[in-house]
Amino acid sequence: MDKKEGKPAALAGVRVVECTETESASFCARLLGDAGADVVKVEPPSGDQHRKRGPFPDGLPDPDWSGMFLYLNANKRGVTLDPGDSSQRKVFDDLVATADILVVGGQSAEIEGLGLRREAFQELNPSLVVCAITPFGLSGPNSGYVGDDLTAVAAGGLSFATPGVPDGVADPANEPPLTANTPLAELMTGVLGASACVAGLLARQFSGQGCEIDLSLQEGVAAVMPYELAHAAYHEPKKRELLGFALMPNVYLPCKDGYIVIMAVLDGHWRSLMAAAGNPDWGDLEVFATAQERGRNWDALEPLLLEWTMSHTGEEIARMAQERGVPCFPAYSVGQMMGSAHVTEREFLQEFTSPGGQSFKLPGHPIRMAATPWRSFRPAPRLGQHTAEVLREWLSEL
Amino acid sequence: MSSSSLPLRGIRVADFGQVIAAPVTAQMLGWLGAEVILVETESRFTTRVWPPFADGKFGINQSGGFNLVNNNKLSCSLDLGNPDALAVARDIVRVSDVLVENYATGVMERLGLGYDEVRKLRPDIVYMSLGAFGRSGPFKDLTGFHSVINLFSGLAAVTGYPGTHPRIMGGLIPDAFSGCYCVLAVLEALYHRSRTGEGQFIEVSMTEALTGMIPEAVMEFSLTGREPEKTGNRDGRKAPHNVFRCQGEEKWVAVSVETDEQFRALAQATGNPGWADDPRYATTQARLENQDALESSLRQWTAGLSVKTVVATLQTAGVPAAPVNDSAEVLADSHLVERGFVVRPEHPVAGTRPVLSLPWAADGRRADELRPAPTFGEHNDWVLKELLQVPDEEYERLVSTGAIG
Repeated sequence: MDKKEGKPAALAGVRVVECTETESASFCARLLGDAGADVVKVEPPSGDQHRKRGPFPDGLPDPDWSGMFLYLNANKRGVTLDPGDSSQRKVFDDLVATADILVVGGQSAEIEGLGLRREAFQELNPSLVVCAITPFGLSGPNSGYVGDDLTAVAAGGLSFATPGVPDGVADPANEPPLTANTPLAELMTGVLGASACVAGLLARQFSGQGCEIDLSLQEGVAAVMPYELAHAAYHEPKKRELLGFALMPNVYLPCKDGYIVIMAVLDGHWRSLMAAAGNPDWGDLEVFATAQERGRNWDALEPLLLEWTMSHTGEEIARMAQERGVPCFPAYSVGQMMGSAHVTEREFLQEFTSPGGQSFKLPGHPIRMAATPWRSFRPAPRLGQHTAEVLREWLSEL
Repeated sequence: MSSSSLPLRGIRVADFGQVIAAPVTAQMLGWLGAEVILVETESRFTTRVWPPFADGKFGINQSGGFNLVNNNKLSCSLDLGNPDALAVARDIVRVSDVLVENYATGVMERLGLGYDEVRKLRPDIVYMSLGAFGRSGPFKDLTGFHSVINLFSGLAAVTGYPGTHPRIMGGLIPDAFSGCYCVLAVLEALYHRSRTGEGQFIEVSMTEALTGMIPEAVMEFSLTGREPEKTGNRDGRKAPHNVFRCQGEEKWVAVSVETDEQFRALAQATGNPGWADDPRYATTQARLENQDALESSLRQWTAGLSVKTVVATLQTAGVPAAPVNDSAEVLADSHLVERGFVVRPEHPVAGTRPVLSLPWAADGRRADELRPAPTFGEHNDWVLKELLQVPDEEYERLVSTGAIG
């Protein structure tokens, strides 16, 4: 029997209506569902766009088995309803009337156009918490701007800062700012959105009133940049070029089978690193005696270190360094990470089996709460799977 | 000292945070109205002794890295190597609702401040423990600086250019982002406690928070054994989708086109109405196949213009575009300033400097108070004498023996 069985869920009894096709707002609502809220995803009859996105376990497009959709919409029930269709709006409003939280996402103009601002529900449900996640927010001079993940990572300062320390840009004139090949801004902002929703529930315990949460993808990105911003606020902004030369080695280097980061700035770490490297003669040279000297003479040191790293695998170097207490780690491929004893032992990945019998994995939940553990209550809904059930349950009370 | 009507009024947080991650968590709880007591030890200083410093001059009260993630907190300086100081720390925990910590695995237990000890002092405490690799598993003791988390989690494996090495994201995002995840966990736990009276132990791993950002790569590998593609700034479903150089040094604009309608608007706005009928660009599929040529043409247009002009021109036409802001531009962004996200508390040593407030507004409001990061030990008097009711003589003894300070 599941050891989590029988334990309560943190948000048990909380009702959430979600009306969005964005990753951020969908993930926000999914996280609330992970904590045990009763989340109803309202989808247009054509289905959420992520049903078409994939990856598809059985190779062929199947709206019920798109990987990104499954990930963003686990622990929800699905209702087919178009709030933009006046004949269906009453039912939508009735659902929202019984809900604690409404999560919406999209371009600001779309949310305004669909009448999904809190004022539309003020009389119907004054204790409703509305969470709106948009590219640039619902207010402010740029609130009308359209955007997506790329524009958020750019406007929030993250792409300018990438590659980051101790990676770096050898030739800033020719290497542009960079983002990741994943909806990073959307997913990170979704986590903040879920926090904002629960904060709204806590505030409601005092006030009895709901509120409207205005959260932008741009802010979601900037929020994870405090250290980068500190440089701009306090001293000289960092330049986009190889950094860390002041104190070395704090460095990202190639090795026999990949790449490795080594942090041996402290003198003790440096001596331990040299011991790991077999105490080469050059390790005792005066020009490498301190972190500052090693930084100043990095051009001479780098080829010597490279000679060592290139003759060993990342795992070998990491083991030799870690055994001696030197912070050091190889670049893992996704496969290495997924197959590692660490990920396996912590049972982080969640397993699924498709209708065609393909088994596959998705990331699990990074929050481990002892009293109110995360559970996989239900997989993402098929299109319209719970329409009748939810309307019967939720609307019978009206 | 708690705030009027914010969600966490009346909640006290004992902050044992190090560097960025847990300090971000506690700061956000503070913006939400909690009273945050930062328990600091000189021998364990991190950001206080790291650059950048105000005006480039070293000083433990003028570090930007510290001051940007510790706003609104009270500082109590305790030498945690001293048994008397540890007793004070336990007293702080006894009157706290939440504890946050991200020391190396095992440190809190060795200090006698592990969950099993703390729950005896405060049975309903919400104990938030954040570890680089989490608190269990073979890697639980490894030092997890941000590059390691990037490289282990798989995020670096989806960052970079086709056929080249994994790149590390800027901004120390593993730290700050996992700190945000902890906020969610603490709020959920407080909501549960408000209904049941029950506290709990919570564990978050930085690497797992990051792996949660690459679901498609994880699924694809489990199905096919294929590693994800690194695609630079490109996207498999949108084109153009990249950054383009503008006038000036290191000035770029990000442009992302998803629909044919947006592409026709882009064609018009850039003075290339012919693109709209060009079969090379007629559909998303065609644009993806011909994006080298498309990007090159677009680059020629942006190169002669300012970022501001490009963004205004494209946004007026309804095309997603944004400046590639550096950190100074983020802090100076009039949009973020007007939204109340960038605020300027006055710090007694470092001066008035921009910092980020709560990343969302509730009914237009973020935080009630705007107090700067504390100087080291600034609130010792208040914490010991007012909050813990330590008699004056005992307080003097703790100061003279070095337990405090």
